[in-house]
Amino acid sequence: MPTWLILLRPKIISLKHRLQQPHRGSRIRFLALAGLAVGFWVLTFWTFQRVLVYFRSVELFGDLLASKLMGMILLTFFSVLLFSNIISSLSTFFLAEDLNLFIPRPVSWNRLFYARLAETTTHSSWMVLLFGLPVFLAYGWVYRVSIHYYLILALAVIPFLVIPAALGTIFSMFLVNVFPARRTKDVLFLLSIFLVVMLYFLLRFLQPERLVHPESFAGLVDYMTALNAPSSPFLPSFWAAEALLPFYQDHQAPSGFLIGLLWSTAGAMTIFGNWASRALYFAGWTRSQEARRTRLRQRNWIGGFLRFGTSFLNFKMRALALKDGKVFFRDTSQWSQLILLAALVVVYLYNFGLLPLDKSPLPTFFLQNLISFLNMGLAGFVLSAISVRFVFPAVSLEGDSFWIIRSSPITLRSFLWSKFWTNLLPLLILAEILIILSNSFLQVTTFMMLLSSVTLFFMTFGIVALGVGLGALYPRFKVESAAQIASGFGGMLYMILSMSFIGAVVLLEAWPVYALFMAEFQQRTLSVFAWAGIVLSFLGVAILNILAVIIPMRLGLKRIAEMDF
Amino acid sequence: MIELWQLSKKFGNFHAVKEVTLQVPPGEIFGFLGPNGAGKTTTIRMLVGLIKPTSGRALLCGKDIIQEPEEAKSLLGYIPDRPFLYEKLTGLEFLEFIAELHGLDSGRLRQKRVEELLDFFDLKEWDRELIESYSHGMRQRLILAAALVHYPKVLIVDEPMIGLDPKGGRLVKRLFSELAKSGVAIFMSTHILEIAEVMCQRIAIINEGRVIALGTMPELREKAQTADERLEPLFLKLTGQEEMGRLGEDFRG
Repeated sequence: MPTWLILLRPKIISLKHRLQQPHRGSRIRFLALAGLAVGFWVLTFWTFQRVLVYFRSVELFGDLLASKLMGMILLTFFSVLLFSNIISSLSTFFLAEDLNLFIPRPVSWNRLFYARLAETTTHSSWMVLLFGLPVFLAYGWVYRVSIHYYLILALAVIPFLVIPAALGTIFSMFLVNVFPARRTKDVLFLLSIFLVVMLYFLLRFLQPERLVHPESFAGLVDYMTALNAPSSPFLPSFWAAEALLPFYQDHQAPSGFLIGLLWSTAGAMTIFGNWASRALYFAGWTRSQEARRTRLRQRNWIGGFLRFGTSFLNFKMRALALKDGKVFFRDTSQWSQLILLAALVVVYLYNFGLLPLDKSPLPTFFLQNLISFLNMGLAGFVLSAISVRFVFPAVSLEGDSFWIIRSSPITLRSFLWSKFWTNLLPLLILAEILIILSNSFLQVTTFMMLLSSVTLFFMTFGIVALGVGLGALYPRFKVESAAQIASGFGGMLYMILSMSFIGAVVLLEAWPVYALFMAEFQQRTLSVFAWAGIVLSFLGVAILNILAVIIPMRLGLKRIAEMDF
Repeated sequence: MIELWQLSKKFGNFHAVKEVTLQVPPGEIFGFLGPNGAGKTTTIRMLVGLIKPTSGRALLCGKDIIQEPEEAKSLLGYIPDRPFLYEKLTGLEFLEFIAELHGLDSGRLRQKRVEELLDFFDLKEWDRELIESYSHGMRQRLILAAALVHYPKVLIVDEPMIGLDPKGGRLVKRLFSELAKSGVAIFMSTHILEIAEVMCQRIAIINEGRVIALGTMPELREKAQTADERLEPLFLKLTGQEEMGRLGEDFRG
């Protein structure tokens, strides 16, 4: 067996063991995740198939649209792959713990490079490959291609994945020799967040919904300009797209040259990578082992802000909250998510500004208030999505350091409630900003403004308690990043339960709100029975909120109290 | 005072600790020895409230760690074998955090105590650095400092010398003797038999979850029916690992 493959064996065997090892609730978890993946696959396939069928029906430039779309998809994949390979190679080549095991062994740098390149490629490519497949299959299905298409696809995909991996690795070899590896990872992580935000803004502010109505453009040229995507004949994504396009245009031009180009570039990049590794790797590795001394200022504005924000807590809970706050704001992978969050809020509010209420056949007054009512549910959903990323991992993020809490004279109840209160405050502020601003855009009635802001205020208590409670019920102490914690079974269950809770609150309020509106609209008074029903509905909402706070917190507390650590 | 009464722990069908009963009075340094997997760390984790015993009780100064956890833990200083800490806090912030968890609410007294400990453990120069940049030995010294910040009455230590340099090791030995003299009960698990031999007044040897010998060095010698002065051959004999001692001779041929 070649040495580089021997180096990969521990990873392969570990993966095999992990798949074979029975876990608590693993079957349900597996089925749920498999269901979700299959659902996503089917949805992606179906969506693309519908879009492509529509394109085919458009005369003259339908096929051109399909080709453009493929070019854009491959270019996006290539950019994503390049970026994720830089981040991934920093981990596999410089930060991975097991390097301490390999480097002192008689393993040549060449072998180590090939093994780590294979690992980097796998890490960064599997998701793109998995989610890209239904797109390629949809193309094949709609254009009724021959078996050759799938053969060319397979031949194009492999070098298409290897090229960005090798390029990303070369780039990180240079980077680590300039900056310390940990700092480089932080900077790249931040850059990737900015990139995503920019892309998100760009896509949203371009108003892609306009593309569905080509009649709104002055002519074909305008339309095509709007679709124009940057593309260069020197990019591997262009070669891959060009190799596949003939199959969608009913003429099977030979793709041999382009496939050859992809493979030879992949081979050349791998060899260049190996050269770069020989010249730069050991120096970079040495630099990455040096401790980074980051002397912190004694007092800073974040510290002051945290002290002010936690002043309502008791002494021990405040100590915990301050610790959590400091850890959060010093971890780039954590605080940088706030940028994404800000982008989400801006686009959310922007969408309300764009709503074409005046074009609706329903009376504007009615529609404004209906949308405001639905907005409660939508804002609840946004809060849940934020909570799954920030609140749900709160307990798990204690990680291996949880022994400090467990052996300290602080009750687990205080520990869990401190997590609740520290997460509640920022989310309450966010919830009220979302609901008040969006309602202002909609110019809703005072009653609706009051109702939705009060409802969301109390709903936030439930959303946060569900997050903290379920986070304690399904903790993942061995997982390092918050994103990973949220992506597990517990995170999924949290989203389902949180959405059900929000749905139930909205449903319980739907009838009384409708009754009150109709009474006002028709200028009539409500009967005593109607009033009793309204009171009962709101009472139901109150009870539901209380239960959403108490039950998950109790269950979570019970679980961590019984847990062996 | 540390008391363990019939303390047991089962993980599924595996009996990790079987009915351990022992007491450590104030001012004593007590050694807890055993081969790998004998149940030392499990016993310690029960003693500090990290895991729940299947049966039996653990009391610190009369306070049950399960029934009265807050009271018991406020008297306890714990030094684990693996120094997992909050990487994104500085050493100073970490000690302040621990002091606050222990209710040291007077800012000036807390600051004085924290600075005293940072000085004592040679961490002053690094007090405003993030823990992520600390070496293994520095982390271990920080954990030692954190265990003492609230003047504990009971100290429970799992492998105290791991990661410490000779200077740090000597510092710990001196510190433990001083603490014992001031009335602190110290329960210490270690693999380094020489340390146990020199520092501990009494020693318990645990094997396969059960305490197989407990007493002073002469008492252990008597139990093992050996005249050998050293702890190592005695330990190997009591734990049935004598062949390990002969292994060296086999290697030498």
